Amino acid sequence: MFGAHAGVGPATVRLAFPPEPRLLGTVRLVVGIVARKAGMGAEGIEDLKVAVSETCAVAVGDLTRAGRRDPIEIDLVEAPDRFGIEVRDRALASAQDHGGPGETEVDDRELGLALVGALVDDLKTSALEDGGNRTSFWLRRDPLEPGGPGASPPDPDLPPPLT
Amino acid sequence: MDLDLNVHKDGDHSVLEVAGEIDVYTAPKLREQLIELVSDGSYHIVVDLEKVDFLDSTGLGVLVGGLKRVRNHDGSLQLVCTQEKILKIFRITGLTKVFPIHGSVSEAISSAPAE
Repeated sequence: MFGAHAGVGPATVRLAFPPEPRLLGTVRLVVGIVARKAGMGAEGIEDLKVAVSETCAVAVGDLTRAGRRDPIEIDLVEAPDRFGIEVRDRALASAQDHGGPGETEVDDRELGLALVGALVDDLKTSALEDGGNRTSFWLRRDPLEPGGPGASPPDPDLPPPLT
Repeated sequence: MDLDLNVHKDGDHSVLEVAGEIDVYTAPKLREQLIELVSDGSYHIVVDLEKVDFLDSTGLGVLVGGLKRVRNHDGSLQLVCTQEKILKIFRITGLTKVFPIHGSVSEAISSAPAE
């Protein structure tokens, strides 16, 4: 299942969703909850939601252009000092040739990937052995430990952070 | 998830209040609204982002597209935003140099060129 690059390790939480733009909000919601439960601070959660959403939006676009409905997979990986994300899709490389900027004269795909690159650490992209793409990156959790500077206030509706 | 848009006039300016999440799914609705405003002759637009919870690159592209449209008519497109998480997206992409960003609608209107 995993190709050339090592990825971010075993998933704490794994999501899969069909390539539909309307589901990106749900993905952000789930990622935000998982990150919050893991003790990530408010700013880190927002960065994570933007990075995951942008990465998934690129995958949705590539799969749609390729005429494929294969689910997009997301691994969320907790580590002591950071939070890892891996996004996998089954879009072929040719689907990334999107014909340049569209109606807005802004290349949303390139802008989106540039945004991800600015928000995260160790951004890597590679081709999967059986076709498709893997994108992985990390976000540092420090200094956003539970209760520490910048940490989110506890949500009474959520269970305590994972340990 | 949805995107709520509300437009009202303030002198020569059209104020577009945006609430919700702007992403690849909802951004077309914002694009259509901006196109409609310009088509109706509104060339000085203030986009109020204070109630926006999320903004991605597609939303940025739509705002840039709107700016280009009003500039074709010697108009203006100004933003209202004080939320750090949204301002960060504009800073990272360098668009703080492209868009005038204000702390309130009244501030935006008072600084914008009017016809």
